[in-house]
Amino acid sequence: MLAKRIQPMASQAKRLYVELMFQVMGRALQAVSEVDGEVQKEAQALPEGFLFEMMVMPEGAKLIVEHIGGGRFHYHGDSAPRAVDVSIQFKHLTHAFLVLSFQEKTSIAFAHDRMLVDGDVSYAVRMTRVLNRLESFILPKIIAKRAVKEYPENLHLPEKLISAAQIYLKVATHFIQTARA
Amino acid sequence: MSNSYYEFFCPVKVIAGKAALEHIPYELGGLAAKRPMIVTDKGVRAAGLLDPVIAACEESGLEIVSIYDDVPPDSSTTVVRDIAAIYRKEKCDSIIAIGGGSAIDTGKAVNILVSEGGDDVAKYTGAGVLKRPLKPFLVVPTTAGTGSEVTSIAVITDEKKGVKLPFTSSYLLPNAAVIDPRMTLTLPPHITAATAMDAMTHAVESFTCMAKNPLSDAYAAAAIKKVSHSLLQVMDNPKDSDGRLELAQASTMAGIAFSNSMVGLVHSLGHATGAICHLPHGLCMSLYLPYVLEYNLETIRGPLGELLLYLEGPEIYAATPASRRAEASISALRKLRDALYKRCQLPRTLKETGKVTEEQLDAIAEMALDDGSIMFNPKEVTLKDARAVLQRAWA
Ligand SMILES: [Fe+2]
Repeated sequence: MLAKRIQPMASQAKRLYVELMFQVMGRALQAVSEVDGEVQKEAQALPEGFLFEMMVMPEGAKLIVEHIGGGRFHYHGDSAPRAVDVSIQFKHLTHAFLVLSFQEKTSIAFAHDRMLVDGDVSYAVRMTRVLNRLESFILPKIIAKRAVKEYPENLHLPEKLISAAQIYLKVATHFIQTARA
Repeated sequence: MSNSYYEFFCPVKVIAGKAALEHIPYELGGLAAKRPMIVTDKGVRAAGLLDPVIAACEESGLEIVSIYDDVPPDSSTTVVRDIAAIYRKEKCDSIIAIGGGSAIDTGKAVNILVSEGGDDVAKYTGAGVLKRPLKPFLVVPTTAGTGSEVTSIAVITDEKKGVKLPFTSSYLLPNAAVIDPRMTLTLPPHITAATAMDAMTHAVESFTCMAKNPLSDAYAAAAIKKVSHSLLQVMDNPKDSDGRLELAQASTMAGIAFSNSMVGLVHSLGHATGAICHLPHGLCMSLYLPYVLEYNLETIRGPLGELLLYLEGPEIYAATPASRRAEASISALRKLRDALYKRCQLPRTLKETGKVTEEQLDAIAEMALDDGSIMFNPKEVTLKDARAVLQRAWA
């Protein structure tokens, strides 16, 4: 484990950042699905009890949400109550960091083979759309543009939710700066 | 430093050209296979395409132990199970798939069962399930379009559940793809046209979608040049075996390109239309290609403009100002479609197919949005966007 000795801080910071971002996204997914019609519409096509996971290979951080019906998501933290239906797996911590720190768009990351989809692809496509929508909510427009292919025109969210999410985000951006240094 | 990154993989040996079929015994011998089974369909047998393969093997003292010639156009898990049972009963040790997409996909799925064991191929669906090489497997394509001989995916219908099961693994790739002009010589005109346009679409989408990379670009550009150059020649002179070989090679090259850089919205719409209106895949590709390129135009102006060189040749490319090349590429494709319509009535609009109603467009748009290939389309597509493209393709 030579690399560990050379760059212990950078790697540790990335790991913490990815874990934190998964938590931010998990909570935000649940919150957004309670108020946003677009997200609900997308989610409604998923079976009730559908479990979605994002994870870092081999045994890294995880984000698990469940579609509990009516287009609502429930955030399960990092442990699934049963086998997941669709899993998006980053091949390496660095790839997850690139995406979650908005240096690489989700769609580009797919195109770059940074992650694998395990499970029904049509559900994975749907979840990617939900995540894009989410990113444009919780990020300031300038960063969101970097994260998604196109910034949606119709974003109307209660002020409270946006500000809550942006508090998480401030923590996150602070992390990017530290981790990049 | 640029953020660009790509992967490229194609371990399939390509055996192409005159008397390529006669290499089959040697290739199987090199894989220590002595008892091959042929997996094919009735159309291939009726066209007499098995004869040269069987003759080539017999002349080298290689006996074809079993021939299954009943693969349906939409292969199922039951068919796969039945073929695997025959393979085991006849103690075969290798598979030669001869045909179009369905026969090849069936061959891949049968190979999973006879190598890994069991009767239910559904167990192996998904990505990364297979962990080791399968039995020796050769593919002889009889259409020039799908590129399935170089893709690591197979799609088989689960009849009980009524769903299409995808299988993906690099172990599904055949050991060799045998491309012999004799195998496509008798392809009827409308199938020649539709399958060649499928290959054209693979190459164009691979060159303009999000996962494009320098290696797949090289294959895609070469494939486009071959199709542009040879398709109409073959349409006018179906027995032109040099032209047939060019199309067959283009199809394989386009297959290598898109299996490494994926396809986009043309395929999302095409898959949905195929499922809802039961139109052949190649026909849908030819139909949607210009409309989707117009939709993507501003995102792909650069690469699409470059393609003019391969579509129309150096003179026209040089005479067209750089700022007009992308539009000129679309016009070149429209011109090719018009020429095909004149020769074999290959439809250019949904209305011309006579099989689609305007009421179905909403359902097609909806379904296209859930297709995996939409993730690689360079421009984001909403339901409204997809519906608008369909409207333009209507008439
Ligand atoms: Fe295709």
